[in-house]
Amino acid sequence: MPQVKTLAEQVRLVSVETDSFKTSRIIVSMAMPMGENAAANSLLIYLLKRSCKAYPDFSLLNGKLDELYGASLSAAVSKIGDSQVLSLSLTCLDDRFALTEESIAEQCAELLANMIFSPNCKSGSFGAENLAAEKRLLIQRIEEELNDKRTYALNKCLEYMCKNEPCGRDKYGTVEEINAVKMADVYAAWKNMLSTAVFQITVVGGAGADNIGDIFTKRFAKIERSPVKSETVFIQRGRHFNRYEESFPVNQGKLVIGFRAGMQSSRDNIFAITVMNDIFGMGTYSKLFMNVREKLSLAYYCWSKLLASKGIVLVEGGIDTDKEKKVSAEILSQLSDLRNGKTDPEVLVSSKRSLKERYTFTTPEGICSWYASQVLEDKILTPASIIEGVEAVTMEQVCEAAKKLSIDTIFMLKAQEEAENED
Amino acid sequence: MKIKQLTNDKLGETVFCAKHSSGLEIRVMPKKGYTSAYAVFGVKYGSIDTAVMNDGGEFETIPEGTAHFLEHKLFESEDLNAFERFAKTGASANAYTSFEKTAYLFKGSENIGESLEILLDFVQNPYFTQQTVEKEQGIIGQEIRMYQDLPDWQVMFNLLKALYANHPVRIDIAGTQESIAKIDADLLYRLYKSFYNPANMVLSVVGAIEPQEVFDIVDRCIKPAEGRPAERKFEKESAKPVRDYIEEHLSVATKQFLLGYKEDISEPLLSLEDEIASQIMLEAIAGKSSPLFKKLLDEELIDMGFGSELFNGFGFSCVMLGGISADPEKTASTLREEIKRIQKDGIDPAAFDRAKRKLYGRMVMGYNDIDDTANLMMNLYFNEYEPFAELEACKSVTLEKAQERLAVLKDDAVALSIISPI
Repeated sequence: MPQVKTLAEQVRLVSVETDSFKTSRIIVSMAMPMGENAAANSLLIYLLKRSCKAYPDFSLLNGKLDELYGASLSAAVSKIGDSQVLSLSLTCLDDRFALTEESIAEQCAELLANMIFSPNCKSGSFGAENLAAEKRLLIQRIEEELNDKRTYALNKCLEYMCKNEPCGRDKYGTVEEINAVKMADVYAAWKNMLSTAVFQITVVGGAGADNIGDIFTKRFAKIERSPVKSETVFIQRGRHFNRYEESFPVNQGKLVIGFRAGMQSSRDNIFAITVMNDIFGMGTYSKLFMNVREKLSLAYYCWSKLLASKGIVLVEGGIDTDKEKKVSAEILSQLSDLRNGKTDPEVLVSSKRSLKERYTFTTPEGICSWYASQVLEDKILTPASIIEGVEAVTMEQVCEAAKKLSIDTIFMLKAQEEAENED
Repeated sequence: MKIKQLTNDKLGETVFCAKHSSGLEIRVMPKKGYTSAYAVFGVKYGSIDTAVMNDGGEFETIPEGTAHFLEHKLFESEDLNAFERFAKTGASANAYTSFEKTAYLFKGSENIGESLEILLDFVQNPYFTQQTVEKEQGIIGQEIRMYQDLPDWQVMFNLLKALYANHPVRIDIAGTQESIAKIDADLLYRLYKSFYNPANMVLSVVGAIEPQEVFDIVDRCIKPAEGRPAERKFEKESAKPVRDYIEEHLSVATKQFLLGYKEDISEPLLSLEDEIASQIMLEAIAGKSSPLFKKLLDEELIDMGFGSELFNGFGFSCVMLGGISADPEKTASTLREEIKRIQKDGIDPAAFDRAKRKLYGRMVMGYNDIDDTANLMMNLYFNEYEPFAELEACKSVTLEKAQERLAVLKDDAVALSIISPI
C-alpha cells in the first residue's frame, strides 16, 4: 500500500518505499484544464527541464545528471481525460550502490524542486534563445508525429471523435499557437501552474519519502495556492458515426475505430469494462487476435485499447487498404459475439489471470506510472484492488459492458496505390 | 549437473550456472522481494544466419528471414498452440528474433514452474503444415509492410546496406516478401534440426524462483539432440563501405539521418572491454553533456533525440550517430570534423569520468528489471562471458582504452543514410 500525504492544497505525495529495487523513481505530475494555454504550458515544461538557476545551462544540468550515476530526467506532456498533464520524472541509483557516501535520491529531489520552483528565469524571462530553441524542438516534435503512422492514426481518430471536447485539442497546442507564444505567456504559465495545477509527487524505491516530502513542502509554503480541478466530459453513446480518411504514400493502411464505452466517470463500471476490453482485443486469447490475425491473416496487429479517463475504446489495425471493409466487418462481428455471450468461458478465466499478471508490476517505472496516472483521482486505487475487482467480474457483466460500446468515429489512413504497387 | 555460483557483492546478486548433459547452458538469478519471474530460452540463430552447413560439411544458402519465420511458427502445435497453453498459467509469452538470435520468453507470477515447462516443451516440438506456413506468410507479409513504413527502421537498414557488401546484417530481420515466399514446411523442419540443438541454446531465468526448481525442470524436459550444432562462417568484409551515401524518400514530415563508421575487424567478435570502452567514448564525445551536443543543438541541427551507439555482432561492427535533422549533410560533416578534432586533441578526462560513471550507474539500474537482466545473461553467454562481466569491464576501462576505440573511427570508412520527405 502506498503512503499518501497532503503537502499543500491539492498537492499530494504518494510513495511506495521498498528496497527491492536498485533505483528510486520520482514523478512530479501537474494537471491543468486542457485549453488555450496548452502551447505555453508545453513550452514551459521543456524550458524547466532544460536548465535551472543552480545549473543555468543545458550542458551543466546534464553533466550534473551524469555525475549522479546517470540519473535520467525526462519531461512529458500528456492528456488525462480533459486535462493537460505536465510531468518531470527522474530515475536515480539507490544510495547503497554509489561509489562514495552520498544521498543521490535527495540530491535528485532537490534538483527537481529547483527546476520547478527556481527555474533559470530572470525578471520574467527564461531567455529568448532558450524559448526559441524549445519552440523549434516542440514544433519538430509535433511534425514528427506524422513519421509514425500508427500513433498518428490513433491521435487523428481521437481528435475527430472529441472535436467538441477539450481532449480533442492537440496535447502540445497547435504549431500556430506555439509560434504565437510570447515570453510573458510562458512566465504567466509558470505562475499559473504553481498556483492552480493539481500536483502529485510519486516516489517509488529506497528514497526516504519523508525527506522528499519535506523538500517540496518547504517550496510550497512560499506559494499562494488556488487550485483548479477540471471536470472531464463523458459522452456515453456515439450517435451516427462519422468516417474520416487520409491518404499517404505508405505500404500499409491503418484502421482505427473509436467507440464510446458508456462510462459516466473514469471509474464507472471499470472492472467489467477492463475485462471486456481485454477479451475483445488485448490478450493473445482475445477475439481480435484470434480471428483478425490468427484465423484470417488480415493483420499483424489488431488491438483494442481502453482510455478509461475519457470512457473511450479504440480498436486499431495495420491492414491492406483494400481490405478495410472486410476487417471492419470482422471487428464488428467479433463485438457482436462478445455481446451475445459467444465467448468460451475459459477465455474469461485466461483474461483474469492475464490481467492479474499485468497489474503485478515488476519495475519501479511501472509502479510509479500507475500511481502518477491517478493525479486527478480523489481516491488512489492500488493494483491489488484492480485485481480483486477484476476477479469478481462475470461473463454476463462482460456482455453487458460490450453492449454499451457504440461506434463514434472511424479513421482510415489509406496507402496510396503507387506505393502499394511497388512491392 | 554441476552448479556454479557467482556472486557480485556490490550488486548484491548471485547467479547459478550449470551445463546440462544435452549441452544446454542454464543461468538463474533468484531475486528477493520480487513476485514475478521472467524466463528466456534463446537459440543462436538469427537473421544473419543465411547459410547452414549441410551433411557434406559445406555451407548452403537459405532464404532470408527463416529464423524469424520459425519464431512465428513454433508457437503452433497440433493441439493447443503455445499462447493457449500459457493462457492457462496466466503468464504472458512472447518471442523475438534479432540479427544473431531467436528468443522465446514468458513472464509470470503464478505457476512459474508450469510455464517454464510449457516454454521448454513448445520450443522443442515443432509442428508445421503447408497450410499453416501459408497462413503465416500473410501475417509476416503485413509485419514486413509495417516496418517498411517506419523511418527509424529504414534509415538503419539503408545504412547497413551502404556499409556492408556481403554480410547478411544488411538484410531485414523478417526477410522480404519474395524470400519468405520460398519458405515451406520441409525447409523449416530441416533448419529447425540444424539450429535448435540444446548445445546452441541457453535458458536464462530471473526473479521469484528457486534455482533448483529450474535445474530439475530442465532435467525432466530437455531432450538430447542428435548431431552437432550449427556453426557460423566468418567472412572478412572489406574495410570500406559499399557506398558513402544512401537516401530514401518516405511519407515523413522531417528528414532524419544516420552516419555510420565501419570498423575494420579481423576477428568475428569484439571483446567486451572494447564494446564498453566504445560506449563510454561515444557518451563522452557526443552525449547530452558534451560540447558537441550543445553545438549541434544551438545550430539547430539536431533535436533531443540525437544519439549514438556501437552496433556490433558476429562479423560486423560499426558506430552509428544520428537522429532528426533539418540538414543531415551539414550535421554529418560537423560530426566528422569534431571526431577528427577529438582524435587529435584527445578526449576530455572529465567527460570520460562522467561518461564512465553514467554507464556504470545505468548498468546497475538495469538489474532492477527481470526482463533486461535475463536477456543480458543470455547475451553474455552467447558471447562467451560470465555473468557480471560487463560491470567488471566497465570498471576497468581507462581513458587510453577509450582513446584507442575513438581512433578506430576512420573518416574514409563512413556512410550517410538519409530519409527525406516525399
